[in-house]
Amino acid sequence: MNFSKISIVLLGLLLSVAASATTIEMEVNGLVCAFCAQGIEKTLKGFPATDAVLISLEHRLVAVALKDGTDIGDAELRRALTEAGYTVVGIRRTDASLETLRAGVKPHG
Amino acid sequence: MKTRLLAAATLLACAHVGAWAKPIAFARGTTVMAEYGAGTMNEIQAFYAPRYWWSLGASWLELNSEDGSTQRRIELARANLLAKRWNLPGAQANAFVWGGLGRATGNDFAGSTLARNVGFQADYETRRVYGAFRSDLEESRHYSHRIDTLQLGWAPYAHDYDTVATWFVVQGRRYTGDLVRGTETALLLRFFKGGVWVEAGATRDGKPQAMAMFNF
Repeated sequence: MNFSKISIVLLGLLLSVAASATTIEMEVNGLVCAFCAQGIEKTLKGFPATDAVLISLEHRLVAVALKDGTDIGDAELRRALTEAGYTVVGIRRTDASLETLRAGVKPHG
Repeated sequence: MKTRLLAAATLLACAHVGAWAKPIAFARGTTVMAEYGAGTMNEIQAFYAPRYWWSLGASWLELNSEDGSTQRRIELARANLLAKRWNLPGAQANAFVWGGLGRATGNDFAGSTLARNVGFQADYETRRVYGAFRSDLEESRHYSHRIDTLQLGWAPYAHDYDTVATWFVVQGRRYTGDLVRGTETALLLRFFKGGVWVEAGATRDGKPQAMAMFNF
């Protein structure tokens, strides 16, 4: 297998991972109260691609579940949260469902 | 039942009140607030924020001196501006300024007069501690009142978006212009969840205070 074939296979793998990402997780600074969360939730639910939103103040986490076959660009998300008054410090995509993330952020005990 | 009533009465008697929320909740959000401030200061406000950093609305304010001799009713159109926000990991700080114009009536002058208001608020909060200082200047050619309010809050647990937040808030407030002598101190018990905020308490001399705020 030559280099170009390996590159094509790797590119295909990367694209398939990106295409299967169902949830976007964002780490957000300034997230300290319910009103903050309410504003962010309202903003994100305005995207046609948004299926549901999860916000955890404790984990400084804002997660967006995407509708099948849709996406929201990182730049668009950063702009939306900046215009909502908050600072995005990190964005990552995951295959984990919102329910899985929700279970992970629930307080233990 | 009697014990519960006694406990509630004791809590109210220990307190003294007034809590200030932020004049802008979130972008494309409407805030409606009503406060009963021990009969000294009663207020209703409604604002709409097109962006997270400014809002427009109206307020109705009633001020009564503690001896009952002076009364003001002030109706204003008001604009609020978030001058600066600091978003920190697990904390937020804000500096707000605002101004308003409208009309006022009083029992020590005839008719109505042009009323002016300017003010600012600086606050800092985490999920467990809260501090805010607010200053309002209410003026017309018949009166001038400055109202300074300091609030310090403590939450017994860190709330999250889907849980009820509980706060104990201590407040100190000073009025100029012969409304109240010295510093009023108060204790409030505050709850909020989602877009609903309610709080109640009492002044040190046992006068009740309450506030409700709705964001949507």
